[in-house]
Amino acid sequence: MSGRERIAVTGVGIVSALGPDAAGTFRQICSGARGFSPVTLFDVTGQRSRIAAQVSGLSARDVAPAAEADVWSRSDALGVLAAAEALAHAGVATGADGLALSVGGTTGGMYEAEGVLAKMDGEAASDASVRRLLSYPLSTTAERISARLGPVRRAITLCSACSSGALAIVQGAAWLASRRAEYVLAGGTDGLCQLTYTGFNSLGAMDPQACRPFDGRRAGLSLGEGAGFLLLELESGARARGARVLAWLTGWSVQAEAHHITHPEPSGAVAACVIERALARAGRSPADVDYVNAHGTGTVHNDAMEARALQRALGPEIGRVFVSSSKGSIGHTLGAAGGIEAALTVLTLDAGRLPATGGLEVPDETLALRHVPAAGHEMSVRCALSNSFGFGGTGAVLVFEHRSAERQSAVATRQPEVVITGVSSFGPDGALVGVANAEYARPLGADAEPVVVPDPLALLEPAKSRRFDASSALVTLGAEQALADGAAPAAETGLVCGTAYGNVQRSVAFLRRVSERGPRLASPADFPHLVPSAPSGNASIYLGLTGPVTSVSDLGTSAEAAVELGISFIRSGLAERVIAGAAEPADPFIARVLSPLHVHKNAPARGQGAGWVLLESAPAAAHRGARVYARIATWIAEWSTPQAALRALPAPQGSDTERVLCANVDPELIAVLDESSWGRVARSEIAARAGEHEALGGVALACGAALVSNARSSAVLVCGLSRGRHYFALLVPPAVPDSR
Amino acid sequence: MDLSELKQGIKQLIVDELDLRDRSPEDIDDAAPLFGEGLGLDSLDALQLAMAVEERYAVKIPEGEEAKAIFASVNALAAYIDAHALR
Repeated sequence: MSGRERIAVTGVGIVSALGPDAAGTFRQICSGARGFSPVTLFDVTGQRSRIAAQVSGLSARDVAPAAEADVWSRSDALGVLAAAEALAHAGVATGADGLALSVGGTTGGMYEAEGVLAKMDGEAASDASVRRLLSYPLSTTAERISARLGPVRRAITLCSACSSGALAIVQGAAWLASRRAEYVLAGGTDGLCQLTYTGFNSLGAMDPQACRPFDGRRAGLSLGEGAGFLLLELESGARARGARVLAWLTGWSVQAEAHHITHPEPSGAVAACVIERALARAGRSPADVDYVNAHGTGTVHNDAMEARALQRALGPEIGRVFVSSSKGSIGHTLGAAGGIEAALTVLTLDAGRLPATGGLEVPDETLALRHVPAAGHEMSVRCALSNSFGFGGTGAVLVFEHRSAERQSAVATRQPEVVITGVSSFGPDGALVGVANAEYARPLGADAEPVVVPDPLALLEPAKSRRFDASSALVTLGAEQALADGAAPAAETGLVCGTAYGNVQRSVAFLRRVSERGPRLASPADFPHLVPSAPSGNASIYLGLTGPVTSVSDLGTSAEAAVELGISFIRSGLAERVIAGAAEPADPFIARVLSPLHVHKNAPARGQGAGWVLLESAPAAAHRGARVYARIATWIAEWSTPQAALRALPAPQGSDTERVLCANVDPELIAVLDESSWGRVARSEIAARAGEHEALGGVALACGAALVSNARSSAVLVCGLSRGRHYFALLVPPAVPDSR
Repeated sequence: MDLSELKQGIKQLIVDELDLRDRSPEDIDDAAPLFGEGLGLDSLDALQLAMAVEERYAVKIPEGEEAKAIFASVNALAAYIDAHALR
């Protein structure tokens, strides 16, 4: 296999208000159609806007298998349809070996759950109500897609608000670059729901009429729903099977602004930097760019910021480059937007036809952009950008090139090792930093004194942590402590935060208030804190973290999924340092309703807490002389079977200082371990001390890293398992420094 | 409506709704600007405060430049509420 390879896009799939497929959506947008209509999914009486780009005729029931007809969400149905189209378009068979899945989203099963949640008091719910919540976790869509199109080798579900779909594609590229997948389905899906509609209304962010991106009279966004997926594969694979390449994905970058939870940084400096880095990765300059599919939401601030960012990044070339926004045609589809717009950008390159911006009639001259003429424009596009920016400040930019483009750059084949240079946790032993985390390997003695766990919010600066909830406080405190433990700078450091369910308690309070007091009294200040990525965004703003910042969701292995993403970011050169882990504060809705749907029956009593590791590329750690707790010798993330995952692990060496740490005490995992060569190794269960919760993997990794530092353990195998997800990390002491 | 009582209520509302955990109502100067400098509040805070004032005092705060004048200070906000509240 050639060492230098590009990533090929060989299939696209879109479901939008303008069509049930990609070709139809693209054709409609090019013809100037707009997909807005009065909202019929829920009551919008009393709101500024009454319209949305709703996918008419979509019923999740019709897409779901019969046995699950009453439990699939709109997001599930949209995602499955778009992913299936992308796979079929690429000519890749269902269940193809080496298929991986990367899904971005923000709302998940909120539409189906919100009626139940608004009435729920955290006590037991009826069976019918509980079934409405089965699709609530954001990671459910990945399970549905895997069941329909897989089984997939591995899957990840991430949320960075409105850049989620683009970030999912970045992760797909990272998997291919590290040869951890043959094919990746990557994109985003988001169904409309009352929570987002009412929330954007409360922010005054919605245009009462259909949105008008880049127009001088623009007055906000219009919401939409949909899904968009790409099928990505390496150039060699696409050529070997004779697949038609639609376009190349040659560049990408992700960075956080660390500015404000809702306002974009007005100068556009960070967004410009993301564009510049994405182009640099592609080996291209502004002179190569012919088209930008802009984020272009239609809000006064986004469009002004984005125009400034484009001017900064593209310089004088900006006068030549065509710009358009798809949101004027299909609305802002939030977590799906990055996936849909990437697919539209690919189709633009493939067809040589630029779509205009729907609703743009009187361009805002102060933006000084070259808009695609209203009738569209035919031209051969060499290189195109797809921009995405989101609440919390994470921006992602993708660079696509024409299928006939000469290769300028290729994915790196030499990928750095990843080490752990800082650890922190929060739990029944309080806030632990550094080697103290080894405590979690010891079961709690019967005579142990109960520890008074501090309130994490009380440990943060009040003026910088206004409106933080327990999740944001735990994430910010843990990230701050891991960073300090590693003596690492915040700038350019990333943060990946696992959360299985997001902040349910706060969403319930918001929904209940809307239900009881009406949409006018929805809390605008609470709304941006309800997106699953709010805690990671809040922490990045508080600490000044400007690397890639996102949340991930993967039920009981949400912390392990965060580490998977963090390792990918480092190995693919997106960041040198990433804080990764998870936080699960006490939440009565999770404890009594959601978690019991997914946790195994013999789980110990529920706890709460957080655990974090500061991941760093080994060369970067060595360069700054960082103390290294542990090297991640082997990292396995498999959705297949635990047996398959374990086969990829090296056997233990038989030393009595080796150790196995199980995050949870799932009987399936214990049985598999007992049958393996690691069954003879001394084992500790983190849940036995910390209680059962979805962030235990972070505590287990922090504990494992602490154990192998100073060679107290010669190797620690950290295991996490949750409903078909299997994660294993083999931590070993750092190599003895080279003394030459 | 007793104006000093109203101002006290407004200050408590500001501290509660904007989560100013390190401030007490007494810290807020009746004449000092609420946004920009001073308390360091931003436009998201203004939206929240407008919603909370509407709920508490049944007074609708207009959008845009008019709101800026109303939110200039506790004094200005109290005067607006006093003039517009339903008795």
